[in-house]
Amino acid sequence: MKSFVRFSVIKAFVHKELTELVRTKLIIMVYMMPSMVTILFGYGIAMDVTHSRISIIDNDNSKYSSELISKFSHSKYFDVTLTHESEAEALEAIKKAQSDIVLIIPSSFEKNLLKGQKSELGVFIDAAFANRASTMQNYVQGVIQSAATTSAPMITLNTRTLFNQAMRDEDAIVPGLIGLVLLVAPAILTALLIVKEKEKGTIFNFYASPIGKLEFLIAKLLPVFMLHSLNIFILFIWATYLFDVPFRGSFFLYWLSSEIYILISLSIGMLISIIAKRQIVAVVLTVIITILPAFLYSGMLMPISSMQGISWVEAHIFPVMYYNHILYDTFLIGQGFDSPKIVLYLCILIGYVVALLGLGALFLKKEMR
Amino acid sequence: MKSLFFAIVFKELKSFMRSAALVAVVLYSFTIDIYVAGEGIDIEPRNVAVGYVDNSGGGISKKILSNLHSPEFVAPVQFLSQKELSNAIYNKEIMVGLVFDNDFEKLYREKKNTQLNVLLDATSASQGFTTLMYLQSILLSFEDIQIPLELKIHKLFNQNSDNKSFMALSELLSLITMLVVILTAIVFVKEKEDGTWDIMLLMPIDAKLTILAKTLSQVIIVMGGVILSLGFVIFGMFDTPMNGSFWSFIFLTFLYTFSSAGIGLFVAAIAKDVMQVAQFSIVIMIPLIFLSGAWTPVYTMHPFFQVLSFFSPLRYYIEGSESIFYRGTPFLDLYPYYFGVMILGFILYIIGFKKIGRLF
Repeated sequence: MKSFVRFSVIKAFVHKELTELVRTKLIIMVYMMPSMVTILFGYGIAMDVTHSRISIIDNDNSKYSSELISKFSHSKYFDVTLTHESEAEALEAIKKAQSDIVLIIPSSFEKNLLKGQKSELGVFIDAAFANRASTMQNYVQGVIQSAATTSAPMITLNTRTLFNQAMRDEDAIVPGLIGLVLLVAPAILTALLIVKEKEKGTIFNFYASPIGKLEFLIAKLLPVFMLHSLNIFILFIWATYLFDVPFRGSFFLYWLSSEIYILISLSIGMLISIIAKRQIVAVVLTVIITILPAFLYSGMLMPISSMQGISWVEAHIFPVMYYNHILYDTFLIGQGFDSPKIVLYLCILIGYVVALLGLGALFLKKEMR
Repeated sequence: MKSLFFAIVFKELKSFMRSAALVAVVLYSFTIDIYVAGEGIDIEPRNVAVGYVDNSGGGISKKILSNLHSPEFVAPVQFLSQKELSNAIYNKEIMVGLVFDNDFEKLYREKKNTQLNVLLDATSASQGFTTLMYLQSILLSFEDIQIPLELKIHKLFNQNSDNKSFMALSELLSLITMLVVILTAIVFVKEKEDGTWDIMLLMPIDAKLTILAKTLSQVIIVMGGVILSLGFVIFGMFDTPMNGSFWSFIFLTFLYTFSSAGIGLFVAAIAKDVMQVAQFSIVIMIPLIFLSGAWTPVYTMHPFFQVLSFFSPLRYYIEGSESIFYRGTPFLDLYPYYFGVMILGFILYIIGFKKIGRLF
């Protein structure tokens, strides 16, 4: 029954869909949303904690204690305020979220050090934001450790940081954002394409017309695919020029995998559109099932190699992980097609496209239910 | 008046309940979605995958390696050559590689300067830094170097800095925002699309009453979800501390959902169909979330953004909720948050009334 795909029919449909996208001004959104997300979050998410507000209560007022304080003021991680408040008052300031850390230097600090006895420093950290607290704790420990180790240790660490030598947050986050945006934006656009017609009743045009199922799907997806393909280049420009993320891999691989990834995103949206009966369900469902995994399994927040149990399994179910692996490779590492793992992941991504599109064609019924 | 108001509220609630799919999606979001967010992520290095190449063939390297244990590290994996090790790092199977050179043991025994080579995947910068800190202190304690200082660290409000409950709570807060904005906006835009809204306005009812009743119905739906999620997930699955009062959180949430419904109202005013709602609400919500300080503390932002952040109701809500849950701030001291949310909500409703409450 299914004949060949007729290009003239598809052309006419694509033309109609494109006109609609332009007329409803949605075309602005197609380009505004991804760039906005990338730029805002690129500047916005800092995993590094800089400028923590540390209040130091110096009960010793000695040479050693002021040396220690100057170590803190020279660090970019801390904004130091010296206070003469009591401990209770300083803690009250943390409670009111006016300060993050309180460091208390005891009165016998210098004396004990000269005698070679241990002295105890009190540190209070606001742990309401748990991960920020652990980072701040590490920085405090780092400063004090480096101030206190007088005899050089025998084993020194000779560290080579790979991929992100300067340990910049932008390098770590911006590629992940591309993975986020290219999953969410096309999906939301396509999620409504078919369900909208169902709700309005215009889907009967499709039921009654001689257009084939496959032709219908291609005609629906092609305009969105073409429009979003341009975003691959736009986002690349933001990443490399605005955020100065290095690009070490093959651009062809970046482009190819991104196109495949957009196809996956489109197919997810399309599946939702086919299954859902109401637009509201489609919108909420798409937002819920794309945004969260795109963040969690991006590798931005937590390396996949550290995941265990359920989260490890889930990370492998969602396509985000595979694409981001390739994405980070093209930006920061640059192995390209030489790595068998990347070729494998690329094949997995293609598998997703085939499976999702197949499911869509299976579920789309060309008749009234 | 009153009966009319509640008639509209009940009508909206009924039409929500009728769509089984919508109920299922909202239930899923408030339970499983939040559970996954809490369970999935640890920002602190946990289970860091370590690989090593040991050319020193001796006991010292083994002793150092035995210090790398859970929960921070998984058992180190041995590689035969440095090439194999770096391949594994490039494939992201290993995050930290340690290379013990031939003369490592010899130099150490002769008490000369000894180097331990570390290869670190620094893709996620802060985790890389923290892992280095761990390694450094493991070496210090291994060499038994005495530091004349002892740190007594107290973490306030969340002693074991439990990340899971924190992530789950953050997810709940952003979910509330997302759902209330989208649901409210769609309730209005749907009527606009179908043309029934004009009929509503022609009826002898105050348009403000209809608008309030409709938003209240969506607020009730979301509040129901919040209570479910608090009971089953936030307190049920994760041991989230509750140092403040439960009712002040509920009160703050109610105020917040109501004023976020105002954002939905605003979206509904500018959108023509559901498609536009989906796009607009994301474009509006992302800056709101960004400016709320959920990701970066407000005081580290650019001064311009700091001023803008006063206009994000989410900022007051997140700070208020953190204070209630973790800091245990008493009810009356929370007034800045209540007022912040209320004033912004008030402004949004006035815009909403003006734009939606008249014929097109």
